[in-house]
Amino acid sequence: MSTKLSINLHKLARFTNTAIPVLALLFFVGGWQISFYFHFLTVPFLGLTFLNTYYLLGQRNHSLLRNFGILGQGRYLLESLGPELRQYLYSGDTEERPFNRTERREVYRKANNIDSAASFGSQNDFDATEIKLRHSLFPISKEHVLPYQMAFGEERGIQNAYTLTVPFIISGMSYGALGQRAIRSLARGIAQTGGLMNTGEGGYPKYHLMEKCDLAFQIGTAKFGVRNEDGTLNEPLLADLAAKEQVKMIELKLSQGAKPGKGGMLPKEKITAEIAELRGVPMGRDVVSPTHHSECEDYPSAVAFIRRIQDVSQLPVGIKLCIGDPRQFAELVSEMKRQDSFPDWITIDGAEGGTGAAPKAFIDRVGMPLFPALKSAQDILLASGARQRLKLVASGKLINPGSQIIAFCLGADAIATARGFMLSIGCIQAMQCGSNTCPVGITTHHPRLERGIIIEDKALRVANYVHSLEHDLEELLCSTGARSVKDLSFDNLYVPNESTLYPFANHN
Amino acid sequence: MTSPKFKLVSWVAQIIAVLIMGQTLFFKFTAAPESVQLFTELNMEPHGRLIIGALELIACILLIIPSSIVYGALLGSSLMAGAIIGHVTELGWQGDRLELGIYAIVVLTCCISTIMIRRRELPLLKVIHSDKPTKRGRRK
Ligand SMILES: Cc1cc2nc3c(=O)[nH]c(=O)nc-3n(C[C@H](O)[C@H](O)[C@H](O)COP(=O)(O)O)c2cc1C
Repeated sequence: MSTKLSINLHKLARFTNTAIPVLALLFFVGGWQISFYFHFLTVPFLGLTFLNTYYLLGQRNHSLLRNFGILGQGRYLLESLGPELRQYLYSGDTEERPFNRTERREVYRKANNIDSAASFGSQNDFDATEIKLRHSLFPISKEHVLPYQMAFGEERGIQNAYTLTVPFIISGMSYGALGQRAIRSLARGIAQTGGLMNTGEGGYPKYHLMEKCDLAFQIGTAKFGVRNEDGTLNEPLLADLAAKEQVKMIELKLSQGAKPGKGGMLPKEKITAEIAELRGVPMGRDVVSPTHHSECEDYPSAVAFIRRIQDVSQLPVGIKLCIGDPRQFAELVSEMKRQDSFPDWITIDGAEGGTGAAPKAFIDRVGMPLFPALKSAQDILLASGARQRLKLVASGKLINPGSQIIAFCLGADAIATARGFMLSIGCIQAMQCGSNTCPVGITTHHPRLERGIIIEDKALRVANYVHSLEHDLEELLCSTGARSVKDLSFDNLYVPNESTLYPFANHN
Repeated sequence: MTSPKFKLVSWVAQIIAVLIMGQTLFFKFTAAPESVQLFTELNMEPHGRLIIGALELIACILLIIPSSIVYGALLGSSLMAGAIIGHVTELGWQGDRLELGIYAIVVLTCCISTIMIRRRELPLLKVIHSDKPTKRGRRK
């Protein structure tokens, strides 16, 4: 005989559904005959009876409630608690996505200046998928590593070339996607390191400008901040912005890893009066940017548009894109050669990139992942001779030194990360960026939630994070014997056979 | 989100409920003879009168604090349901009892309307109703 305790939920639900009205009736009789105080019970049970009747007979949307009534509600409650329970209790340290606990913890530790040394061994899977760095038999010591310097725009010999001295750029996040305090924390922190912050496609970068950091102004497909009524580029507005002391570079966003082929999206919950004004959009409606720039219809027009922005802004101008088909990228590069006109850098955003809001299918299924995309781009640029004409920036989950060094080996000149910096200012990966309910006050405009962010304190963490990443990069460079990231190459990588990079490797 | 028009209706209902409930509090707390008489008939004098008075006071306060309106409406409608039960079983509807009974029904109606309009703010239902419809509209 089985001694297992089992509950027949169907029976229990039927019992509950009968018990509620019966109890209501009993209490009523009690209140009538014994003491009026019984009605303190009658009334709630009457309420439950009504609610349950509505669930069982009235509403038509939820089968479970129609069949089981109020007990079925328990399922919805439990399901709504599921993500938190799993995150806190049941998920292993290397299990969660997009970032597992080990990865997040590393960022938190860096941001708080806590030593991230680990003990006993790695928790990673060493078998078939993990790419490794090939160190040298003869590592060098730190004095021999050159300070990082990357001059954007030097290839064109322009007057306003910008020298990046911190290889970790805060990737585009608009005011809108992030709240003002988060923006200001990031801006103040990166200013302390002398690094660069991208404004994201949020229109006039009011809060980015407040903290005196170097900025790359992003032009999204809706051209917030620099648009005409019809969505085309407003040159005087762009020239004005570009003339600002802090705006060092301009990034033209063609596409973004989390939603390539789809414009940016800002849910109406997050559109305040101020954001509506800065972007020039109405309130009370989701704002969805167009899928592409109306000026970029084909290869020649896209390249011409990049040059036009270079001419108007007089600044280094880059493009950001997620690669879908490397052959198209090759075609774009050969058009650049034909016109002898190159952007000053290209940001390759991997399909694994983050976003404030995007359709699930796009987040999950569209675009090439960073590593193979970056490698393809690097190969195409090298083969066509265009590589010396521009810089390459990589983004897509590059939040920790281990993954960043791989991107450098694949050809990146600098790293951009959005979520790495979000984690550094306290993001807990609650995954609510689109609903204005961010519990740590980063992706919300709700004053009560933003209250959690003390700008001065968070700025310090941003700076700590950057310094710690620089420190680790330096140590990794020493181990390979390379004096700067420019000396790294694909040969510095060990690529196992189940990696997405395996097709690119010389199998020997 | 609840539309502004419904929000206005809800506020009107809340105010009516608060005004009616609020003015009876005075009689309850000062032990006015009519009130004492009522609660004596219900066998609840004096504790019941004070407990119910206190609960009504709480309901009134909750009904005007924006973040707790639905809870105030829930409490208010429960109390009024109790009052109506009182009229049905013990107090009857003669004379000024009719007036009191009608007041209870009015407050109950106001509270229930408020709950209906703000049902998305209810904690249990929130779980079910929180999803946002697409721009194509929620299919019925
Ligand atoms: C909240 C949030 C907002 C973002 N907003 C923008 C944006 O306005 N423009 C843009 O090009 N990318 C935007 N991104 C994408 C990031 O800039 C970046 O390309 C992507 O997240 C990959 O980097 P990561 O994996 O280090 O986060 C956003 C990402 C997040 C998480």
